Amino acid sequence: MLPADCSRRLVAELRDALDACAERQRQLERSLRVSRRLLRTWEPETPAAEPAPGPETNEEVPPPACTPSRQELKELELLTQALEKAVRVRKSMSKAGERHKALSLKSGDAATSASTASAPSRASSQAGSQASETKPPRGAHQTTVPARGLPEGRLPSVGDRTRMARGARATKPGPGLRDQQITASAAPQAPEAFTLKEKGQGRPGLCWLPQTSWKPYCLFAAGSPQSEATLSTGFPDSILLKLPMAYRKAASQNSRLWAQFSSTQTSDSRDAATTAKTQFLQKMKMTSGWPGSGLSAAEVEAEVGLLRKACSLLRWRMEEELSADPADWMQEYHCLLTLEGLQAITGRCLHRVQELRAAVAGQQLKPWPEGRCPRASMPCEGRTDSSWSPQLLLYSSTKELQTLAALRLRVAMLEQQIHLEKVLMAELFPLVSTRDPQGPSWLVLCRAVHSLLCEGGERFLTILRDEPAD
Amino acid sequence: MGRRRLRGHRGDAVGALPEAIAALSQTLPAGPSPEIFRRAKFDRPEAAPALWQLLFRVLSPLPADGASASPASPTSPALEAQVHLVKSALRSQGYPRRALAQLPEDGSQGSRELLLALAWLLARGPLLEQLLAQTRVRLGDEIPLCECEALASAGPLPPRQEADGPVDIRHLQWLMGKLRFQWRNLITSQQEQCALLGKIHSYTRGCHSDRSLGHLSVAETELFRDPEGGRQLLQRLESENARLEAALVWWRQELVFWKWMAGGWGPEWTAVQRASQEAVGRELATLQRAWEQGEALAQTHGPRRLVKRDAGASGGPGLRAAELIGVLRSRETCLEAVLGRLQTRCWQELTRLAGARPGLLWILPPGR
Repeated sequence: MLPADCSRRLVAELRDALDACAERQRQLERSLRVSRRLLRTWEPETPAAEPAPGPETNEEVPPPACTPSRQELKELELLTQALEKAVRVRKSMSKAGERHKALSLKSGDAATSASTASAPSRASSQAGSQASETKPPRGAHQTTVPARGLPEGRLPSVGDRTRMARGARATKPGPGLRDQQITASAAPQAPEAFTLKEKGQGRPGLCWLPQTSWKPYCLFAAGSPQSEATLSTGFPDSILLKLPMAYRKAASQNSRLWAQFSSTQTSDSRDAATTAKTQFLQKMKMTSGWPGSGLSAAEVEAEVGLLRKACSLLRWRMEEELSADPADWMQEYHCLLTLEGLQAITGRCLHRVQELRAAVAGQQLKPWPEGRCPRASMPCEGRTDSSWSPQLLLYSSTKELQTLAALRLRVAMLEQQIHLEKVLMAELFPLVSTRDPQGPSWLVLCRAVHSLLCEGGERFLTILRDEPAD
Repeated sequence: MGRRRLRGHRGDAVGALPEAIAALSQTLPAGPSPEIFRRAKFDRPEAAPALWQLLFRVLSPLPADGASASPASPTSPALEAQVHLVKSALRSQGYPRRALAQLPEDGSQGSRELLLALAWLLARGPLLEQLLAQTRVRLGDEIPLCECEALASAGPLPPRQEADGPVDIRHLQWLMGKLRFQWRNLITSQQEQCALLGKIHSYTRGCHSDRSLGHLSVAETELFRDPEGGRQLLQRLESENARLEAALVWWRQELVFWKWMAGGWGPEWTAVQRASQEAVGRELATLQRAWEQGEALAQTHGPRRLVKRDAGASGGPGLRAAELIGVLRSRETCLEAVLGRLQTRCWQELTRLAGARPGLLWILPPGR
C-alpha cells in the first residue's frame, strides 16, 4: 500500500489524464453522431447499428455491394426512362397549368414519378442519361419522390426496390408537414421540398425540408423551371446542392470581415494607437503600488514552457551532433561550431531560468486557482501575427486525413505519457528507496514500479529467487 | 448630458468617443453602455457591477462547447463570486495595481479601477481578437491540432472526490490500463470520424459557392437536414458579423479612447507621464520581441478548416496535410525519444535499487 498523500496525488494525476481523454472522446462522439446521421441518408446500406462499420480507409474503391450487376443496370435504365418520362410530363404539366395531374407509380417497372427528380440515385449516374440525370453519391439508392397532387399527400412507394432494400428498417417519415407542402408547390418559385423516402421499404433518401421563410434551396431537378440548381455532370459521385442565399451572404460577409482583421493591423492610426497603448501600460506599471518585476504567473508559465521546449530541442540537436561521425575535418569543424553555439544558447536559457526563479520567489506569485484557466483567456500565443480568419488545411485522401489525425492524437498521448512518467518517477522512487528491501512488499512494489515506469504499464517482469543448488 | 460636456471641452475629436466606446461595447461580450464607461471614469458606484460582470465574462473560460455564449447565461455565478474570480484572474495575469485587490467583495465600488483594468487588458494584447476567435462560428470541419484548443475548451475542473486513504499500487496500474484503453478507443473513433468526413467532403464536391473550398462541411450539409438549426446558425453568423463590424469601427477610432484614458485622472499621473515618455521606445521594442518570440511551429496553432482537394490540384493558400504530417512525425519521434530516455533512466535507477537485495533473478518481459 502506498502512503496516503502519495496515493492521493497519483490518483488525482491519473484521473485528470482520464478526464481529459474522456472529454476528447465526448466531443468526438458528438461529431460522429452528426456525421453518421448525415451519411445514413446518403448511404442507407450502411448497417443500422450505431457502431458504424470500421473506417473505410480506401474510399476510392466502392464496396462490393455497390458494384452494379446486370440486373441492377437494367433496373437503373428503367428508372432513368421513368425519370425522363416524368420530366416530360412535368413540362407539359406546367405548360398546361394543370397542377393536380397525378403521376402514378407503377410498382413493377421501377418507375418513379417525380415532380422534381432529385433522388440521389445510383441509377442515373450509372446509366448516364442526360437531362433528368442526377448524380448521386456512391451507394445511395434510388428513392422516390412523391408526386404532386396525390390526394392524401402520401409518399408513393417504389415497389421494385426490394432487392436493394435493406430490411425493414423503418425510416423516419419526417414531419407531416413535408408531405403537405410537397403537394402544394408547383408555383414558379423555388421548389419547396420533397422527401425522398420510401415508406415501408426502409430506405430513406435525402430529406429536403421545405421552409418557405428559410429560402428553400434544394435542388437539382432536371428541366424543372423552378429549380435553382444546375445539374452536375462532372462529378459522378457527388450530388449538387445549393446553400440558401441568406446563408451564403452571411458566410461570405463573415469571411470578408475576418480577413479584414489582419489587414487592419498595419496602418498609421494603428501605430499611433499602439504608442498610446504602450504609454498607458507604462503608466499602469509605475503606479502599481507593488514592488517587483511585474511578471505574471501566466507569463512565467508561458516562458517556462518555451524554455522547456528549447531544452529538449537543444538536447536532441546535441545528441545528433555527438552521434554523427564526421568524415573529414570540415565536418568536424562544423560539428564543433554547432556544439559551441548550442552551449551559448543553453547558457542564455539557464540564465533566463534563474531570472524567472528569482522573480517568482520575490513576488510569491500565486498560480491561477483552478489550474487550467490561464490558457482559456490567452490561447495560442504563437498566433498573433497570422490571420485570424480560419485557415485551410488541405488533404487529398481519407487515408491522409486519418494519418494526420492519428499522429496528432499520438503526439498528445505521448505528451501526456511523458508528464505522467515524470510525476510517477518523482513519487515512486523515493518509496522504493525508503522501504525495507527485505520486507515482504518491497518486491511487489519494485515489480509494479518497473511495469509502470519502464514498460508504460504494458508488461510485467518476473522475479525469481535464485536458490543455490545444494 | 455627459456627452455634451465632453464635447464642449475637447472639441470634435471627442465626438467620436461615444461612438468608439459603443463599438467597443458591442464587440465585447456583455458590454455595457457608453454611459457606464463615462460614469466609471468618475468612479461612480453604480457603474461598478456592470464592469465586474464584463470583466468576469472576458476573463472566465468558456463552457465546453463554446458555442453557447449567451450573455444571460443561467449558470453565471453571483456577483461576489464574479468579483473574487476577476481579482484572482487579474492578479495571476500580472495586473500591476494593488488598488484592485483592495476593492470590496460585494462589487459595489471601484468602477474607475475596473475601467483601468479593462483598458490594461485591451492594451496588453489582442484581447478582442481572442474573444472573437473563441466564440467564432465554426462553419467548417476542423481537427484539433494543438493542445491549446483542448485545454481551452475543457473549462474549469469539476470538484472531484479525492481518494482519501492509502491506495494499493495495483489500483494505479489499473488506472494506467484504463487510460491506455481509452486512448485506443479515441484513436479508433477518430479514424471513423475521418472516414466519414472524407465521404461527406467527396459527396458534396462542387456544391460550395466558394471555389477555393469546393465542397461542403458537415455543418453546412446539416443545413439541409435541419433547417431549424440552419436558422439558428444564420442568426449566430449575423450577430457575429455585427460584432466583427463593431470591432473594425473600434479599431478605426480607438486612438480617441486612449487619449481619453490618458487624461484627467488626477495628480498622481502627471509626474508619471513625464517619466513614461523616455521608456516608450524601449517598451515598444520589448513588446515586439514578445510577439516575435513565437514558437517555431506557429503554423500548427489554431483551428483550420478541412478542405478535401485532389493531390494533383495546384497551389493556393492553406497548409497541406502532408507537410503537417511531416511536422507531427518529427515531433512524435522527438517525444518518443524523450519517453524512451526517461524509461531507461528509470530502469537504471531500479537496477541500482535492486542491488539492495541480491539473490534474485529479474526476468524482463519479452519485447523490451
